[in-house]
Amino acid sequence: MFDLAYQTIVVVIGITAILASFGVILCASPIYSALYLIGNMICLALLFLLYNAEFIAAVQIIVYAGAVMILFLFIIALLGAKKEEKTSSWEKPAAFAFVPVLFGELLMALTADAGRPALGQFTEELIASVGNAQAVGMELFSRHLIPFELASILLLAATVGVICLAKFPAKIGGRRTK
Amino acid sequence: MGSQFVLFISATIFCIGAVGFIIRRNPLIMFMSVELMLNSVNFLLVGYSKFTNSLDGQIFALLIMVVAAAEVVVGLAIILTIFRTRRDLDVDHLNVLKG
Repeated sequence: MFDLAYQTIVVVIGITAILASFGVILCASPIYSALYLIGNMICLALLFLLYNAEFIAAVQIIVYAGAVMILFLFIIALLGAKKEEKTSSWEKPAAFAFVPVLFGELLMALTADAGRPALGQFTEELIASVGNAQAVGMELFSRHLIPFELASILLLAATVGVICLAKFPAKIGGRRTK
Repeated sequence: MGSQFVLFISATIFCIGAVGFIIRRNPLIMFMSVELMLNSVNFLLVGYSKFTNSLDGQIFALLIMVVAAAEVVVGLAIILTIFRTRRDLDVDHLNVLKG
């Protein structure tokens, strides 16, 4: 009974995530796309929770649905939410020919390995005994320490790059404006 | 159901993101489509980390979030610079590299 309810909730949230992602690419105005994207990210965070990844769910809400989407909305407010004019181009038929092939390939490649046994050491009982965040932290700071430090260097580099892009005024007509 | 469901949802959202990236011409919406694709991969990694009793998938997802945050910040700064220079955001009209 509990298992059936769990499966139903997972399926409903997954379908909601798919519908929200359709909303992202079909809305004419970027502000509605951003709102649908927030919905999609919240659905995925709920799915992370249902798949026993509480820490990643919290990070998803804070970083993605919070910081990144606030940044998007700021930029949309700054640039103005103009609708794009409809013109016919060759990209649409190309997309509708290319993407089903991609989808089929993804499903084939992913189902080929579906019967893999659960070999890892982090069983649900072990993670439940120490807590998900602690388990992720121990793993992150022991086996994955170097990628973690590299990520911090990447964030520093991105910060410096953005300050450089934003600080110096854009050239207009080949002449720097002060 | 289990892992099949995870990879179906993930592949579907990834393909929707790919379609959006190709057919839209507003660079902001193209960026949001890239975010969709990154998020779908995160979901796949987290789902499989449960099914294989391993935490590596969750740590990968965390690092993907870091890279995505850095990428969004730099990309939006570039879009803002292009807008300040040209007053136009349609990517079809951007056909010269010179500022």
